[in-house]
Amino acid sequence: MLDKDCNENKCAEQIKKTFQTAEVEVKREKRVTVQLRSDLIPPFLSFAKEFMEFKHLSHMSCVDWVEDNELELVFILWNYEQQVQIIAKTRIERVNAQFVSVKKFWNQAETYEREFHEMYGVNFVGNDRLGEFILEDWEGVPPMLRDFDSIKYSKETFYQRPGREDAQNVRATIAKHSGEEVPGFAKDYTIRNIED
Amino acid sequence: MREKETTLYLGPQHPGITGNMMVKLKVAGDTIVKAETHVGYLHRAFEKLMENRTWTQCFPIVCRICVPEPDPNEENLARAIEEIEGREVPERAKYIRVMVLELARLASYQLWMGGQSGSMGLYTMPQWTVGDRDYILDLFEELTGGRIYHMYIWAGGVRRDLPDGLKGRVLNVLKYLENRLPDYDKLMFQNAMFRKRAEGVGIIPKEKAIEWGVVGSPLRGCGIKHDVRIDEPYEVYDKLEFEVPTHEGNDIWSRAMVRRQEIEQSISIIRQVLDKMPEGEYYNKIPNPLNWTIPAGDAFVKTESVRGEFGYYVVSDGSDKPRRVHVRGPAYVHGVTVLEEILKGANISDVSFIMNSLGTCPPEIER
Amino acid sequence: MMNPNINEKDKRRIRDIVQDFARKHSLWVLAYGTGCGAIEIPPTMTSRYDAERFGIRGSATPRQADVLLITGYLATKTLKRVIRTYEQMQAPKYVIGFGSCTINGGMYWDSYNTINALDRYLPVDVYINGCMPRPESVIQGFIKLQSLIAEGKADGADKYQENLEWYRENQKKIIHNWKMPDYNW
Repeated sequence: MLDKDCNENKCAEQIKKTFQTAEVEVKREKRVTVQLRSDLIPPFLSFAKEFMEFKHLSHMSCVDWVEDNELELVFILWNYEQQVQIIAKTRIERVNAQFVSVKKFWNQAETYEREFHEMYGVNFVGNDRLGEFILEDWEGVPPMLRDFDSIKYSKETFYQRPGREDAQNVRATIAKHSGEEVPGFAKDYTIRNIED
Repeated sequence: MREKETTLYLGPQHPGITGNMMVKLKVAGDTIVKAETHVGYLHRAFEKLMENRTWTQCFPIVCRICVPEPDPNEENLARAIEEIEGREVPERAKYIRVMVLELARLASYQLWMGGQSGSMGLYTMPQWTVGDRDYILDLFEELTGGRIYHMYIWAGGVRRDLPDGLKGRVLNVLKYLENRLPDYDKLMFQNAMFRKRAEGVGIIPKEKAIEWGVVGSPLRGCGIKHDVRIDEPYEVYDKLEFEVPTHEGNDIWSRAMVRRQEIEQSISIIRQVLDKMPEGEYYNKIPNPLNWTIPAGDAFVKTESVRGEFGYYVVSDGSDKPRRVHVRGPAYVHGVTVLEEILKGANISDVSFIMNSLGTCPPEIER
Repeated sequence: MMNPNINEKDKRRIRDIVQDFARKHSLWVLAYGTGCGAIEIPPTMTSRYDAERFGIRGSATPRQADVLLITGYLATKTLKRVIRTYEQMQAPKYVIGFGSCTINGGMYWDSYNTINALDRYLPVDVYINGCMPRPESVIQGFIKLQSLIAEGKADGADKYQENLEWYRENQKKIIHNWKMPDYNW
């Protein structure tokens, strides 16, 4: 169990006091998870950076929860002095997704926002560099959304060289090419393994 | 009188670029006014591919994200899965992992030395260092079967135990590399040319470094002592003794000095690991990989790679495939916003010099 | 005194043999790291494997290069640049496909951004398989290319000229925004 006065619990207390609607959880040592309303993220980030010394933006991520029709934005901050990591999460609408740019707190957030704009179609208000970043001349659904089928797209667009379809059972394929006789117990080895 | 501005495209095909990327430069005479990074030439959509792969199938995929040093990727994914699942790793496996990570670090430093001096026209250095790097790759080949991509670290441990007599061969290689260091010093680190080229170039302001997201040796080159291995010890780094070198100066020279000292630290770490490595299991059996599900949850883990903090954000929804694996390579920040910022006012001939010192690695920017 | 028994056709053949002999011992490879295979090029070129003993060395610009080494998968964005680079190169020119991902997509076969079969877009003379190929196999691939050149069979560039329409059709299927200069042939 964690000490009551440890840095993690102190951070959690401080966040709870300031943001009453936030769900704060200390997962293990050095890990604090915060669930927030989407409009509270900019004040939270500013509070964490200026008053709680979380100077380092470790990571920003976006997860597609297509069942709930929501996108989850994740901000991971690191405090070099207290050595605590905060994972702040918020959920936004999936269709016509929109969020405020957090570029003003960290300049590198701009790169993440450009990526999410391209890969998830999230529009970050206040970021003027949105547009083509990684892809070129991409038309249609942003590719990282769950309803974009990469296999289907690849099969339609790129030539699929034959030969992959029998690569399921390598042993049998080699035997077929060389005309070798495989004993019965070794024949369906792969299939047996799956049922195991 | 203000000089006329011209647009200069550096890349994607350019021998001085560290990989396949483009830097669009606005130049006035020889001086860069504005720089813009264009990436996406190596985009393979790893994160999308992993959504269609089982957890075990992800391991051969992730190591291809960062080509010069693939092992932190495997280690990160393995540790993220272990953290979500609460899986224990045997002590011996942890030591083997640290050994692999540090050997990979050494190999990557050899490549960096070659690239850094190659970008200023010192072509003897790559001949030496890339040749010496092959001794480490031979060790990897013996241990894992692959020269570049190892797929060695798996969730629950490592794939196989150390072969007989590998310890002695690792020590031999370390001894050889240590004896080579004075030669490297003479040719590169004590070279007056290198010092003249590197000092005062590519300056990252110290007070901005953390805010800009600078990590790894560029951060330590600003005199700020932060290292994931110390801040948040993973595997067995808390049981090993090593120093985190720093250097004041904020420029390419200080980054090179930091890296030079880290090579010695890495050699000392591997020696300690080989000394302290316990006997026992090297692998904690996972369920059948074909129907291996991982409980719902998420984790962000990070490793100190050669270029700095390498993070993985992994989300599981309780199925046999990952929901999301998002990679944060140090170059994602170094190669775009930081590079654009510090190229302002630099000389055109220093561009690839600065890129090498930051460790810009395009495959981990776009993945 | 010329031998009157050698006819017009054979004379050309002798000139070709001499030409090809010279060509095969001086292959300048364009330094274009298109994929992760580029990491095995430094060991191939430097002290341990030393490809220069076969006359293989790097070249900085496409106009001076003979060999276009496609080191790995090609993203669609890179494919456009590679085609342009290839067309800028001057004949004689050869293409080597390097790694499994150039043959059938390798482990990126279902990716939305990488092509699966390189020979649909560029005329490939030699394929080197593996992920990734060791420096020995890279050198082996070059030796194979050299023997093809000596036999006069490395005629990918001619095929590309003859079947340009077929290649263009395949290329334009992937590259939607085709804004490229036409080079003289």
